[in-house]
Amino acid sequence: MDYLSKKYLRSRKIPSTACSGCGLGLNHKAVVQAVYELGLEVEDVVWGTSIGCAGRQTFGTWKGDGFAGTHGRVYAIARGLRLTLPPEKKIILTVGDGDAFGIGLLHLIHASRCNADMTIIVNDNLGYMSTGGQYGWTTPHGSKTDSSPYGMYEHNLMSDGMDVLGVLKHAGATFLARHVAMDGQRAVESIKKGIQNRGLSLIHMVFPCPTNFGSRELGTRDTVKIYEWIENQAAPLGQEKENTVWATGVYFDASNSRPEFSESIRKNVETIRRTAAL
Amino acid sequence: MKRYLETGNFAITEGAILAGCRFFAGYPITPATELAEAMSYRLPQMGGIYIQGEDECAALHLCIGAALGGYKAMTATSGPGYILYADPYGWAIGCEIPLMILNSGRVGPVSGITGAPGQGEFYLTRYPTQGGNFETIVLAPNSAQEAMAIVVEAFYLSERFRTPVTVLADQLITDGFEDISVPENEGEMEEMGFRKWPRKINRGPEFYPATDEIDIPPVVLGHNTGALCSDWTPTEEGYDIEEVAAHHKHAYRLIYKIRNHRDLFNTLYEKTFMDDDPDLVVVSYGTPSRVVNTAVKKARQMGMKVGALRLINLWPFPDEHFTRKTKYLSVELNWDGQLVREVQRAAPKDSKINFLGTCGDLPTIPDLIEAFTKILRGQSLERRGWELEGW
Ligand code: SF4
Repeated sequence: MDYLSKKYLRSRKIPSTACSGCGLGLNHKAVVQAVYELGLEVEDVVWGTSIGCAGRQTFGTWKGDGFAGTHGRVYAIARGLRLTLPPEKKIILTVGDGDAFGIGLLHLIHASRCNADMTIIVNDNLGYMSTGGQYGWTTPHGSKTDSSPYGMYEHNLMSDGMDVLGVLKHAGATFLARHVAMDGQRAVESIKKGIQNRGLSLIHMVFPCPTNFGSRELGTRDTVKIYEWIENQAAPLGQEKENTVWATGVYFDASNSRPEFSESIRKNVETIRRTAAL
Repeated sequence: MKRYLETGNFAITEGAILAGCRFFAGYPITPATELAEAMSYRLPQMGGIYIQGEDECAALHLCIGAALGGYKAMTATSGPGYILYADPYGWAIGCEIPLMILNSGRVGPVSGITGAPGQGEFYLTRYPTQGGNFETIVLAPNSAQEAMAIVVEAFYLSERFRTPVTVLADQLITDGFEDISVPENEGEMEEMGFRKWPRKINRGPEFYPATDEIDIPPVVLGHNTGALCSDWTPTEEGYDIEEVAAHHKHAYRLIYKIRNHRDLFNTLYEKTFMDDDPDLVVVSYGTPSRVVNTAVKKARQMGMKVGALRLINLWPFPDEHFTRKTKYLSVELNWDGQLVREVQRAAPKDSKINFLGTCGDLPTIPDLIEAFTKILRGQSLERRGWELEGW
């Protein structure tokens, strides 16, 4: 990451204060790699984050302009920003699963509904880990966390045949993909496609949290164990096994197929301004 | 100057546009809906943007996003929507984002009575979010024409102070039809005392802990200044920092940039028959003040030494008007007594302080005259049968 780090990230914030062994850095690196491979410069991107591990550890790392919203609200802020930033500026958001799929889901659905141009990386540590480890909306059934000591038994957005990406697809998002942190270049390729879509793109990226998820579910903070546990339950789309929880790859690609939010608002406003009608 | 017979909502819309507002995100709610509708009609004509949020919380966040993009932005609501601003309001205070927020008060709590005026958010506008450690600016007009002027002023102050400003109106102001003059150019604006402050772009540092300076441009993203802002305690460069001492310095700024520059807006009040040290000072704001002023004039004709103090600048509370030991009567559109608590706090210790509350409807002039008479005779105000003690 050294070259990329120098080019795009602030030395003050790298390395981050994430726990050692945390997989978030892999996701972060994949995003920066994608930005690099697309030939984007620091000034081409405004970077937003949420709170929780994913938000706080990535906030202020980008050399260019950045912001962090309160819990779950960054999609609404980014939508207002989208309307007022030049259209060629990219908005990239690195957020957590609790933020996107819990408290912020309404705002995320509405950002998808209007196909607002932004690329959202949902870094999923399988629950609320910055608060010590409580289950969330993608925690696999039966997983032990501090708030599911008997194993998680609530319905969630990834249980009983549900898939949160399906919700977002029907809400109007135009690019959706899923990966795990260890997917490397495959994840980078998906993120690149997401950034190139003029519309709402979301990449769901599961990453290992040895400190809180691993220690409760697997009884050990051993980094290798949680990495293996996630990898074993992930498989490329079409090659799923019986125990596959996360089918990885591009889930839905309707890139550039329907009007983008800010572009269509601007166009309509311009017509009304000139002709007083539509 | 163009004259209209129009609503307060119309006046507020025109005021916002004159102030340079080009972004409105709202959510339908009685009695602020017509304001959103007027904005949806007017803003695109000016090249501005109107959108609807999925709820009020989103609406104010959308405004924050637009402000971060360099726009002057506003939203409008009533009590049940204002409470949903708690989250973005706090963010905007902490990140020092200029915004204009209009609250048209109705009868609460919760949905209550939708189409009648109330003043239940006097304290809520002082503490619109959690955590404390900040000061807020709140202004309250009492007519459609004044609402236009106050909205322009609110935009002006929000830029200079880098903070959201709430304009607290009520259903009678926003819905009522009145004679309204709208300035048609900068010269006419100046003539009417309208002040404007342009949006400028902060070139860093982003934050100014432990200072009370104003007139600093807000954080604007997208100009590659490396600007950073977040909900965490900021360093000067906008990095998040987990340190009580640093937070204390940030909080100092959020409190004292406003407290130390009150002279910019504490001239916003109206005094009627207050020059001869009246035996009774009637305190009010918003629509009830119009009835109070009429009642006080009548009481003077009847020989009562009564004066009226109308507050426009509500927060920070203008304690300076309450230095004299005398009798006070707070007239409010609520039954629990809110403004009266501040009067009680600010006035000299053994002043006699009274409260007269109505809600959903204005007090009548006979009711007020009766109250003045009793207070001046040293009698306490009687309550209706089922009302127990005074507040
Ligand atoms: S708690 Fe878990 S997700 Fe959060 S920084 Fe530590 S290892 Fe990473």
